[in-house]
Amino acid sequence: MGHGKWDDNAYAAAKTFRAAKGVDDFGYTAAMRKTSSANWKADPSLDPKGVTARECRDSPDHADSTPIAVLFDVTGSMGRVPQIMQRKLGKLHGLIQRKGYLTDPQLLFGGIGDADSDRVPLQVGQFESDNRMDEQLRTIFLEGNGGGQKSESYELAAYFIARHVVTDAWQKRGRKGYLFLIGDELNKPRLEARHIRRIIGDDITQDIDPASVYRELARKWHVYFVLPNQSSYYNDPQIADHWRDLLGQNFLKLDDPGAVCELIAATIGLEERVVDLDQALVDLAEVGSAAEGEAVGKALVQVGARTPATRRTATPPALDGPDDVTLS
Amino acid sequence: MTTDLTGHVIVVGLGFGDEGKGAVVDALCHDRPTTAVIRFNGGAQAAHNVVADGRHHTFSQYGSGTLAGVPTHLSHHVLVEPIALATETRELEALGVPDPLDTLTIDADALLTTPLHIAANRAREDARGDGRHGSCGKGIGETAWYALLHGAAEGDVVEHQRVTGTPGEPPRVGDCAHPTTLRRKLDDLARFYRPLIGDAPVIDDLVALYRDFATAVRTTRGDEVGRLADTATGRLVLEGAQGVLLDQHHGFHPHTTWSTTTPHNARALLRGRPATTLGVTRTYQTRHGAGPLPTEDPALLARFPERHNDTGHYQGAWRTGHLDARLLTYAADACDGLDGLAVTHLDATDLRVTTAHGTHDMPDPRHWIADHLDRPVLVTGHGPDRTHYTVRTCATITP
Repeated sequence: MGHGKWDDNAYAAAKTFRAAKGVDDFGYTAAMRKTSSANWKADPSLDPKGVTARECRDSPDHADSTPIAVLFDVTGSMGRVPQIMQRKLGKLHGLIQRKGYLTDPQLLFGGIGDADSDRVPLQVGQFESDNRMDEQLRTIFLEGNGGGQKSESYELAAYFIARHVVTDAWQKRGRKGYLFLIGDELNKPRLEARHIRRIIGDDITQDIDPASVYRELARKWHVYFVLPNQSSYYNDPQIADHWRDLLGQNFLKLDDPGAVCELIAATIGLEERVVDLDQALVDLAEVGSAAEGEAVGKALVQVGARTPATRRTATPPALDGPDDVTLS
Repeated sequence: MTTDLTGHVIVVGLGFGDEGKGAVVDALCHDRPTTAVIRFNGGAQAAHNVVADGRHHTFSQYGSGTLAGVPTHLSHHVLVEPIALATETRELEALGVPDPLDTLTIDADALLTTPLHIAANRAREDARGDGRHGSCGKGIGETAWYALLHGAAEGDVVEHQRVTGTPGEPPRVGDCAHPTTLRRKLDDLARFYRPLIGDAPVIDDLVALYRDFATAVRTTRGDEVGRLADTATGRLVLEGAQGVLLDQHHGFHPHTTWSTTTPHNARALLRGRPATTLGVTRTYQTRHGAGPLPTEDPALLARFPERHNDTGHYQGAWRTGHLDARLLTYAADACDGLDGLAVTHLDATDLRVTTAHGTHDMPDPRHWIADHLDRPVLVTGHGPDRTHYTVRTCATITP
């Protein structure tokens, strides 16, 4: 009838509008936003206060569990990333499993804010391997504030993962888990004891040097910081220098914020040495993420030089040593 | 008399469109706190180019303040095309604008432009052959026309066009959240246009699509512009689409757009609140497609290369001419109170102007235009980028 590609355009339009509704899918956020900010709090399932440990355990169905923790900066414009993630969750899980990057991935999601100024500066869910992941993601409160100091409390989240997560992967097999921090700012200069006491509930009396938290964390986790192209900080050398100092080549800049899921999957594939970068991009194309592949390829170009090897052999190193945080 | 740009500003084009309204709106929004850009006419056929911070976007339904971080309100005078809006949303997302739809509010009474209107528009323009009107082929005129047909019967002639069936009520943005009402209106629309365009797309699909649209954008009812003006801290910028010389009443029929392109809608939306009306002109004349362009000079095309405008299949060729002093006066008069000017493309050199006494050199276009219209030039543009624009907040004119 003369108006050309109506079907294509209309399909794309419907998808665009549904995608934009992402924020409505985050029902907890919508409900919280209707109340006064004085009442804002994390959903009990995501509140870190008083949590002894989040556990990633093997089960008869999942005998080789590997923890993947994804914690988002949920301040300001970064709030969009969890929404993107939520839409692509199935794809991420499927890719990791079907392509054999990991046998039994278990995902945990969390939100990171600013302990100095936010009502809900830290949220941490449970490790899940089914649809409850989606529910958890949608229960994250996207507080959305963040306050102009160019820093968020990433180190508080890192502390929680270092001290309050136990995994069979590490305890039984000496295998590291995966932690992806997704944000666009700096760590706070100090991890303040008062914040740890208030938000997590640990009886800590001295402030902690953030760098030491990342050192402790790196013993049991592959830690990545992903900076999506979502704010003016994308090209800020201070941000890049800061994270490269802490994480080296595990600081990843991502041109396309819509490719976070794909980046996580490909990173794991490379780290596990199941694929090289080229093969990871082929795998992405196969699950319909060819477009995202370009940004992923760029983000991982330094990491991708690793040659794929056959699957690892599990030789547990000396398990759980003493904490080595530096008090400041 | 003092004219300033600290309060509400109405931006209108003094030509046939393409004057640089988009860049002017962006410059104004970037210059001082602006609560919202209000669109007060036109629809998806608008094409306002903004180049800022290394990004370029041709604004169509979003306000041209978007890259400056200013939200958009589409008033009830705007014709809303959801499918094109979605495309533009994706374009803005690709430029890094977070949640573009979240920056948009739409008056529930705004008319909807549907694929049926677009098909009818193109069918009619195709049938005109060489007598094209220069339509963009985006269903704007058809949307406006169909909305006028209430009470008309088959065979009547409304606005020079024969009514080919029994019209129903026009679908509006507010209907999208009410599938039963929307479906009835779309069924009527499809039945009405069948003689012209044949079978319509599946109405169920359209209803579902518009339902998704309704949940993705915030619609407003009542005096949203007044609410924005009274409760917000910044001023409003009211962005006109097309130009005064294409106005449905003041333009040159039939080469007009079905829209009030003068500041009158904007003033009605402001309900008596004071505003500065800023007329935008290039240093030369341009026009897209068919219609009069008295000072046209094909030799100018090569001298003024156009980065963001080209020939549209339905719209026709891009044309240029010398600045036309008589048209400029005519356009300024049609504004019923023009307070200041924005002059764009000041980087163009060796300009000429055509007056009642012939065509002569115009070495200093900024002063020439200010003198000719007896209005201060408050915004100047020397190129396409935001950095090429200068906003003067205030000017005193000696009477």
